[in-house]
Amino acid sequence: MGIKRFTSMAYKSADDIVFGKALYPVYERFGVPIGAGFVVPEIKVAPRPGSEKDLETFVKHHKEFTEEILKICATLGFPYIMIEQEHVFQQTYNPKYAYETAHAQVELAEKYYEEYGIGVTIRHTIGDIRKAEAEGGLRESDLTKRMFESFEQAASAGVGDVAIETLGGKEIVDYAVARGDIKGILFGIGVCGSEDMAWVWPQIVKIATKYGTIPAGDTNCSGANTVMFLAGGLMDREVAHTIAALARAIAGARSLVAVEAGAKGPLKDCGYENPIIKAITGVPICIECTSICACAHIDVMGNLNRAVGDVYSNESVEYHQEFGGSTAEVWTAVTGNAAALSNTALQAKQEKVLRDLLTYSDMYRDPQGLILAYPNAYRIGKVITQYGKDPYLRAKYAAIEAGNIILEAAEAKKIKLSRWELDTLNKAMETLKALPDDADKFLEDCLKEYKNVPYFNPKNYGW
Amino acid sequence: MDGREIGWAMVEGILAGMRPSVKEEVIDFDKIFVRYNVIEEEKKLGLKPEELVKDIMPKDEPWKTIAYAVFKGDAATALEETKKALEKYPPKEIVDKGLAPGMQAVSKLYDDGIYYLPQVMLSADAMSAAVQYIEQKVGAGKIEKKGKVVMHVAEGDIHDLGKNLAKVFLVADGWEVIDLGRDVPVDEVVKAVEKYKPVMVTGTALMTTTMTAFPKIAKKLLDKGIKIPFICGGGAVNEDFVNTFPLGVIAKKAHQAPKFAEAAKKGISWEELRAKWHEIAPA
Repeated sequence: MGIKRFTSMAYKSADDIVFGKALYPVYERFGVPIGAGFVVPEIKVAPRPGSEKDLETFVKHHKEFTEEILKICATLGFPYIMIEQEHVFQQTYNPKYAYETAHAQVELAEKYYEEYGIGVTIRHTIGDIRKAEAEGGLRESDLTKRMFESFEQAASAGVGDVAIETLGGKEIVDYAVARGDIKGILFGIGVCGSEDMAWVWPQIVKIATKYGTIPAGDTNCSGANTVMFLAGGLMDREVAHTIAALARAIAGARSLVAVEAGAKGPLKDCGYENPIIKAITGVPICIECTSICACAHIDVMGNLNRAVGDVYSNESVEYHQEFGGSTAEVWTAVTGNAAALSNTALQAKQEKVLRDLLTYSDMYRDPQGLILAYPNAYRIGKVITQYGKDPYLRAKYAAIEAGNIILEAAEAKKIKLSRWELDTLNKAMETLKALPDDADKFLEDCLKEYKNVPYFNPKNYGW
Repeated sequence: MDGREIGWAMVEGILAGMRPSVKEEVIDFDKIFVRYNVIEEEKKLGLKPEELVKDIMPKDEPWKTIAYAVFKGDAATALEETKKALEKYPPKEIVDKGLAPGMQAVSKLYDDGIYYLPQVMLSADAMSAAVQYIEQKVGAGKIEKKGKVVMHVAEGDIHDLGKNLAKVFLVADGWEVIDLGRDVPVDEVVKAVEKYKPVMVTGTALMTTTMTAFPKIAKKLLDKGIKIPFICGGGAVNEDFVNTFPLGVIAKKAHQAPKFAEAAKKGISWEELRAKWHEIAPA
């Protein structure tokens, strides 16, 4: 299957986008409807350190916390749950680990579906364990083969869907972000990242389709989230939050490639760019934001992404005990209750009121939230589709549109920017506007400028 | 329910369906959140960075031009002026009187909350370009360093941004970094520590199942009688975990690295560093 570019918006109006409903819902195994009028909670647990020591211990641990999650769903009366296993290195590197853990979790899902009727879907997010510097690089190394083999194994074990966080372009983004270099960020995420996804994703779709598993989606965790984490909170001084916002818009143009290659959603939870992609494509999305994922990290978008999300995720939590129970139980309760509120709003036909409350609670807290608020995510999506056929151009103009949104809000005194945030944004906008509209020219220029960045090898991207 | 009640219920239903979603104009956002970064920055807007570091910066040429090139992150000028200076002055003098003061000034402004990471990185790039040129000309090892630090990312982990940032801070502060890279096996780290005898070793990891390499490294170092601080950081790494094994000291931010190295060089034990890192190397 090739890449089918989006040149128009699936949603005809930003106001039509709301949580729990997508234009193209996905129905997972065990009857879990995603984007079909419900918000589904998601829970993700990182295995306890040391559990990776052998296969038996590893599988046993996964069984334990999966059963804890399902028991708490029964205890609290949750009708649906997505359990995501974000692979640790050992789980993808040893495809047998992928199969055995997936198999054990699917068996438990069946058990609880049969006993209680709880709709349980298991997601396996295969680790992108490829290394740019490995023999064979990103495309031909032993690590690459193991990664695809783990997709096979998880899918054959019967998981509901598969996802990944591809890391193409990470080496460039890492270099550029610390220097506040928007051109490098655009090249790393918008060009290298898109190119890598266009190579990886058709293969994932093929494997998933073979086993009747849903090819779900990707995320720019390795790029835009790195920028977001480094940008940190309001008082951090590593990366201007305006730059993080531009990186996120670029990531919208990049992560779209998964859907263009055949991914059906729900898109991967840590893709904060997902509202943009939902607006463009109409596929359902998993989301995270501080109010439901503070166990993993604290961002400045407390409630915002819940406004348009179809699956509410805790992002990840290390397995240990809290007063309320194990972290698996506690965070299932948190995402389950957040989903219940949204589902109540849907049943009461008040979803747009709740959507707007969730949006306004964060829209002007930070430039990153501002550009992801659904009317603005829609604006960025429109620009992406306008230049839809050219991954570079759509990424470039997505960033410029995000910059315009921030500057307009600052001028209208709706968002307060620090001098540093504003100066950095103005400089980035100048840089972006001065870049050529010819993708080949931009590529040629970047290949020269970034040739000495550690681990960067154009061959990894087919150049 | 009679006909009139049904009629009202229908009207209410229609009104509820048509109820506009929330109006932005009625919200007082100042009562929801405060952008403290804007307020804090305003307090410092009157400050002139160059005034604040004038005591650090040299006044005589060619050191002044070199130092200000580093300070401004102007790699081309820093390199060009270093080339010229190397024709007349010994490498140590160029570093001590020109390059280092420029970097110290930037680091001070960063520590004081006035400068930002990109400014530090660009200055470090400028300094590195000049130092690399000197080393090419006179040979590596001719520039005196404060000491050695061995750095690595845990086996199975390729997330090296944190390590690379910490390395920049260390190099800029005059430390020799033995960078073992990412996805580094336990034994390779131990061998490097034995070989290079650093003042400290660092390890970073993103995942719960890769950070488990750290206690193994610590045990092997202790078995060999090596008791240097093992500074650990990264996404999944937290203080509770690091405090479960000997030598381990948590690090939360890249800029802490030089302060940890200074402390280790002074002979402060890992136990003391673990107990007092908030004072010795605040995050």
